[in-house]
Amino acid sequence: MPEFPPRRDDTPTFPLPHIEHAPPSRISDHPEFHSLRRAQRRFGTRATILSVGGFLLYVLLSSFVPAVMNQPLFGHLTIGLTLGLGQFVIMGVTAWCYVRHMRTRVDPLARGLRSRQYENENRRTRPSAPPQGAGQPVQPGARGFRTW
Amino acid sequence: MVTIAAIDDSSLQLTFVLFLTVVVITLFTALLTAPQRDEISEFYLGNRTMSPLRNGLAMCGDYLSAATLLGSTGLVALTGYDGLMYLGGTTVAWMMVLLLIAEPLQRTGKFTLGDTVALRLPRQQRPVRVALAVCILAITTLYLVAQLVGSVALLTQFTGSPSATTRTLCVAVIGTFVILYASLGGMPGATVIQIIKAVMLIVGVLFTAGWVLYHFDWNPNALLERAADRSGTGLSFLEPGLRYGGTVSNKLDFLSLELAIVLGLAALPHVLMRLLAPRSSSVLRRSVVWAIGLVGAVCFGAGILGLGATALLGRDTIESTDRTGNASVLLLAHELGGSVLTALLTCLAYLTLLAVAVGLTLAAASSLAHDLYSEVIRKGRASETEELTVARLSGAVIGILGILLALVAWGANTATLAFLAFAIAASAILPTIIYTLFWRRFTAKGALLSLYGGLLSSVLLAVFSPVVSSAPASFYPEVDFAWFPLQNPGIVSIPLGFLLGWLGTVLDKGPAEDSTAHEEFEVRMLVGADD
Repeated sequence: MPEFPPRRDDTPTFPLPHIEHAPPSRISDHPEFHSLRRAQRRFGTRATILSVGGFLLYVLLSSFVPAVMNQPLFGHLTIGLTLGLGQFVIMGVTAWCYVRHMRTRVDPLARGLRSRQYENENRRTRPSAPPQGAGQPVQPGARGFRTW
Repeated sequence: MVTIAAIDDSSLQLTFVLFLTVVVITLFTALLTAPQRDEISEFYLGNRTMSPLRNGLAMCGDYLSAATLLGSTGLVALTGYDGLMYLGGTTVAWMMVLLLIAEPLQRTGKFTLGDTVALRLPRQQRPVRVALAVCILAITTLYLVAQLVGSVALLTQFTGSPSATTRTLCVAVIGTFVILYASLGGMPGATVIQIIKAVMLIVGVLFTAGWVLYHFDWNPNALLERAADRSGTGLSFLEPGLRYGGTVSNKLDFLSLELAIVLGLAALPHVLMRLLAPRSSSVLRRSVVWAIGLVGAVCFGAGILGLGATALLGRDTIESTDRTGNASVLLLAHELGGSVLTALLTCLAYLTLLAVAVGLTLAAASSLAHDLYSEVIRKGRASETEELTVARLSGAVIGILGILLALVAWGANTATLAFLAFAIAASAILPTIIYTLFWRRFTAKGALLSLYGGLLSSVLLAVFSPVVSSAPASFYPEVDFAWFPLQNPGIVSIPLGFLLGWLGTVLDKGPAEDSTAHEEFEVRMLVGADD
């Protein structure tokens, strides 16, 4: 299941080319980090605009063009009431898409970067003293890996 | 206010017994699960290894207040379509939490929102923490008063307009329970009562909604037809505009209210605190999805309850009991299931407002103890025991403050107070959260300007709105200084909060924060530290 196995196990035996040749000094310079940020931010913004904006649009439509919203569809169910029910459907679909997007696009990238970060820190800490400054409330990586 | 007692005495006694039983049992459980050691993390965050379903239930319990169960249902019963849109907004609000706020906040957070902002703006964290604490205190107090006032309003359904002694007793008893839960139980205790309340709420609302539909042979069309028939307004009951129709300012008022509901949730302190509880972000994600599903189900059921109340009782009965429609659920329960169902739902309503009040008190206490006392007054040198004592004490102080204010403002409209709290949250706290998480250049000056500016503008606009003066339902109906025409300040104050945050940042000529602070923050936000 893990696409990015923790590499610290195999570093001692043979050199890893991409790390040896171009060691990214900081995680935030890594190209994968940028695509991670893009993937998360773009989807979040779009989906929020779609669901929250869609709802506010529905409120506006109901207030300002009631004639359209009052056309009956089946029995007493008007277009407005149907759109209102549709909000619940849109929410369900958006939540499902979000979970799927995070699982397939974002989580693997984050996992890979996390193992790389861990590795960088290990390399830095081995020769010298504790790495983190005092400004950080929680020491990153203090608990090590959990299951994935 | 209300003059006629809606429901007979036997169900009041039954309610009393039921409520006391539930409260005593949950109080014991809360004390048993209370923090054993003097650990602030346990007091603030509770059990961090709960399953997603339980977390989702707790979030749902924190979020759904008596305003939803009684107020929104009453609005559906009286205004049909417009009331249903409230319930839609209540659910949609969770989308923003799921899509934008929850996971970044959980990865960068520790105990309070102040910790996240401090990680991002380490150099000037103290003034920002103070500003956050002030805003959080304003929001939680207002919302707490709304819950306690709601308890008086609920009592009114049984006894008619209560005497001063009854009123004081009711608020004091509920307030004391709130203090006990929050100060002694901490987050673990609050979680117990949230989960019990959420389960009861979901079961109670869906069961009663099912009963209503069963009454109409599971035919929603028959329910709609009958509701329109007995609403006294005919088909316009199923059309927009009954409550917020007519003038443009009415329509804008409705948009303003929906804006505050949809954006305010993502900035409510007790909901934010709940988001920090799960240890891993994948658990948090599943918890929020659960919460969306559960909140959606309750809101859907509440809509059916409101329509059912009008269909089975008729508008006149509901309105003659309580002009605001708050009694509709209890009247419906009485019609369907006699005094037993009435007692059950009343007990549920009391439990609901008690649980929300506990969550709020805890959020305010943690903000005071952690942000204000530990990080600003003691500059981070306070021991855990000391901070914990301060947290417990501030819980008690906020509870007492809430009780006193609720006794002064007992005649206020619960829903108006609650929606005002939402508007303040959306205009003061939301801009800071969004900018902190997503804007690289954001500075402390921007944060301060948007926090204080959003708070001041929304409070001032509310003071000069029809909520306080000029309207028959306002605090001072005789005088008129309401030059702001809308009931809810959201439509002006929310954009203003964002604008001030941007302005403060752009005009900030002081020494910039370290660029590494933002980088570290972003790495933590996206990659996570210990997940």
